[in-house]
Amino acid sequence: MAIVERAAPTALVPAGVGPAQTMGVLRRPVTSTGWKSWFFTVDHKKLGLMYGVAAFVFFIVGGVEALLIRLQLAQPNGKVLSASAYNQMFTMHATTMVFLFVMPMAAAFANYFVPLQIGARDVAFPRINAFGFWCFLFGGIFLNTSWFLGGGADCGWFCYAPNSGVVFSPSHGVDFWSLGLQITGIASLTGAVNLITTLLNMRAPGMSLMKMPIFSWMVLVVQFLLLFAVPVITVALFLLSFSRTFDASFFDVSAGADPLLWQHLFWIFGHPEVYILILPSFGIVSEVLPVFSRKPLFGYPMVVFSGAAIGFVGWGVWAHHMFASGLGPVSVAVFSMSTMLIAIPTGVKIINWVMTLWGGKIRFTTAMLFAVGLIVEFTIGGLSGVTHSVSPSDTQQTDTYYIVAHFHYVLFGGAIFGLFSGFYYWWPKMFARLLDERLGRLNFWLMVVGMNLTFGPMHILGLQGQPRRMYRYSPDRIGEGFFNLHFWNAVSTVGSFIIALGVLVFIVNMIKTARRPADAPLDPWDARSLEWLTTSPPKEHNFDVIPTVHHLDEFFHRKYAENETTGVMEQVTTAEAIMAEQEANAEKNIHLPAPSYWPMLLALALPILAYGVIFHISLIALGAGLVLASMFGWALEPSMADDSDYDPPATDGGNSKELAPLG
Amino acid sequence: MRSEVTIPSESTRSRLRVAITATAGMGVLALAGCAKDAPQDTFQPAGPSAQSIDDLQRPVFYAAGVVLVLVTIAVVAAVIKFRDHGQPIPEQGHGKSAIEIGGIVLSAAILAAVAVPTFATIFNLADTKGCDMTVNVTGQQWWWEYSYPVQPGIDEPIVTSGELVLPAGECVKLRLTSRDVIHSFWIPRLNGKRDAVPGGIHIWKVEADQPGIYDGQCTEFCGLSHADMKMNVVALEQADFATWVAQQSQDAAVPAADTAAAAGQAEFSVCASCHQVNGAVDAEGNPVLSQPEGRLVSGAAPNLTHLMSRTTFAGAAFDLLTEECRSELRNASPAEFGALYLRGVTEDCLNRAELEEWLANAPGKKAMSPDPDPENNNLARGMPYLALTSDQVDSLVAYLLTLNPAESGAN
Repeated sequence: MAIVERAAPTALVPAGVGPAQTMGVLRRPVTSTGWKSWFFTVDHKKLGLMYGVAAFVFFIVGGVEALLIRLQLAQPNGKVLSASAYNQMFTMHATTMVFLFVMPMAAAFANYFVPLQIGARDVAFPRINAFGFWCFLFGGIFLNTSWFLGGGADCGWFCYAPNSGVVFSPSHGVDFWSLGLQITGIASLTGAVNLITTLLNMRAPGMSLMKMPIFSWMVLVVQFLLLFAVPVITVALFLLSFSRTFDASFFDVSAGADPLLWQHLFWIFGHPEVYILILPSFGIVSEVLPVFSRKPLFGYPMVVFSGAAIGFVGWGVWAHHMFASGLGPVSVAVFSMSTMLIAIPTGVKIINWVMTLWGGKIRFTTAMLFAVGLIVEFTIGGLSGVTHSVSPSDTQQTDTYYIVAHFHYVLFGGAIFGLFSGFYYWWPKMFARLLDERLGRLNFWLMVVGMNLTFGPMHILGLQGQPRRMYRYSPDRIGEGFFNLHFWNAVSTVGSFIIALGVLVFIVNMIKTARRPADAPLDPWDARSLEWLTTSPPKEHNFDVIPTVHHLDEFFHRKYAENETTGVMEQVTTAEAIMAEQEANAEKNIHLPAPSYWPMLLALALPILAYGVIFHISLIALGAGLVLASMFGWALEPSMADDSDYDPPATDGGNSKELAPLG
Repeated sequence: MRSEVTIPSESTRSRLRVAITATAGMGVLALAGCAKDAPQDTFQPAGPSAQSIDDLQRPVFYAAGVVLVLVTIAVVAAVIKFRDHGQPIPEQGHGKSAIEIGGIVLSAAILAAVAVPTFATIFNLADTKGCDMTVNVTGQQWWWEYSYPVQPGIDEPIVTSGELVLPAGECVKLRLTSRDVIHSFWIPRLNGKRDAVPGGIHIWKVEADQPGIYDGQCTEFCGLSHADMKMNVVALEQADFATWVAQQSQDAAVPAADTAAAAGQAEFSVCASCHQVNGAVDAEGNPVLSQPEGRLVSGAAPNLTHLMSRTTFAGAAFDLLTEECRSELRNASPAEFGALYLRGVTEDCLNRAELEEWLANAPGKKAMSPDPDPENNNLARGMPYLALTSDQVDSLVAYLLTLNPAESGAN
């Protein structure tokens, strides 16, 4: 189902299943309004928005879980949650934030903006794209239904064997966890194949890889990480599911298994996963910093190569999560060194960001605040990461709150700040409305203050001996004095509610903005890359004219030129003028993929199968039937809808681009 | 190129002042604001292993702090100096390779300087050649067992739990394993942590410079009561340690007939199905052998032979000593500590309330999974609710109080 631009009207009609023969259930849906236009869409922009909305809802769920955790720990011997409820809460908080918020939110941006940034009309495999989204959504919902069906997983997000076995975790929580992640894993894997193909094959003419926008580059690195990391966790999850459901003995010590097998599998996935979470945000701030500094990204090739280097070296550091597990001194020394090594490309990025600011003409929009905030907050997380590479020191810090502090500075101060920067930066592109800047600044400052109050004290808590994953701590281990560990726990709890307030301000901002007219200027930030070379929101076919690329910052160079006498960059034309020219020369016969029922139906079958594995075999039969039917439907459905299926019928053969599945 | 440095606007400067004050305030608070005498503080080493880690990590932390300050200064300077104040669009340069290569070389040099002592410390910490004493340490949900094999100075095997008693100033090799899930052994002031993994033995070492109590906690998430799985190391002078070994090598004394303790011993027969008390005999005079493997997933329950020689119970989750006696012991000088510790838990020092609560309803005091699991051979995890009357609890406490080798004269 690849998209072919400017296809000749007769070129793409396959023999046998031409539009004339569409019939019955195999007709492709064509509704372009209402809920059907969303449910059956294969448009990367609509899918991107749906990814975003669903991920944001899961962000709220994970946030509420975090607040409950912090309430429980606000004082010694907390009574808010039972031990069992607390263990479920921290497991599901991490699982939700990692797999159901940060990853899909990055997928939302990637889906929406990668085709726009590289001058393509959609992704390479639009139906697979839709399938990926529905897998994520249904997998996420399935995972969270465990709350109502006997309790969530209680094994920690890393779910170490043998504690994840039926004997030690008898509820169905871990089954929901492993099967749910299996389903969302399909979303990641199909997304990776799709975006890699898109990025390698569908760039606009002239866009060599080294002229590709940096966000798209980081997405490309991330998709390769997903492509190789997700299969590892898939294998591990299958071993776990088979152990729990069919009494397989992969992790059964009495049958001769080594439980460290799980740790190796989990972290071979789990460490690249960290970069899967952070690199999209690095990409976003690497777009935002140049735009608001009015300067190209400092050392673009270095940022590209350091991203790729992080992607490679990221495979060689997994055992630094296992420094206390008894690997032996040689392994520990090797993984200490590789962990130090990965700090170098990460440091390169920070230097490049600072140097991008240096000498610029800096405007402090909210998007820029979040990007600059990321530089500082992520640096804190990166430096505490370097202290972990000193493995003897790590044997003191691992599994304490110091680690919790570290990865929240990386994932909140890094990944989430990047995503928020992206919200404020790209909102006018997606909705033709600018988010309120005053509320935006409030949102930013609440989140900065909140996150430092929440996660800053965790450094102290951990270094002074408070382990993580403890549902309560006793007063006799908190130390003496006013600034005892109870005090810092209380500060952390207050901070978490300030973060929540910041998120609330963002929600208010979204609502307020949605009520305003869609009158944002075409190019509100004086942006630099191709996604701004189209209307806001972009037309269904993205570009009236597929741009030919001559520069890294193509859009900027279309607007600006060097004054030959003074040598200063001057604006020579406006975005509006460029857009008018595009519309005047709009291409005809644009071929777009038609919507489809099958991706959603196929994805819907997967949780039914999974419920069957947990509860009753009849559900497996039902799910398998639906899988088969959907796959046949998918394979047999015509490659496009008949013109006459549209209302009004698309008869014009040339200019009906909004509906135009022309052959 | 820009020629003049523009002074930031008033609002920028005031905002900046607020930001700097706030940052500085938080920094000062964080430095001054650590808890005093936190028992698990990783920056208060009390033994050579922890000391070598501390010597290694302090400079790294300081260096990290310096880098953070430099990056922050660079960012703040950039955003003030280059704020948009009407300057022309800057030159569209793509970077300076000198800066980038310099950055790479500099960070590589810093890391190399960190790597060398790191490697040395890794191999030193793994070296147990000088450790003459060995203790087998076994984790299970949710307590630690310590068993001392026969070796020079120890003529009878000793099995105890909760508190690992060691001679001060001597390196002790630990052989760590687990009977169920993965646990992690961590006494922060003595050494880093090491996982206890079922099916394997991990070697670790601890050494305390001074007599005293060093707190620790299981740090690998091990299920329901992970938070309550604690342990201590008690270090004693050589002579005191020899006394402790002699005490522990004795059997428990049998209480005199017709005392509350004797009644308690009769009640204890229920407990004895899991808890071993060496020296206990049944009505026929045969030794009582506990058989926890028939009831528990881990197949083990704490040996209670000399319960009152310890200061904690239930996986070191609760104190056997009253608040007063506990702080007297913990604040004792290294010279006085040994004698005080070897006194054991006397009747006036017993934290009776918590012990009674525990006996009356153990699962209510500590989260466990004490009901037999029909899916798993009717095995349970943890101590069950025993439906004891308060009289039964009282006589049990009377019996348990006799399990003090110092008081019963077993020494």
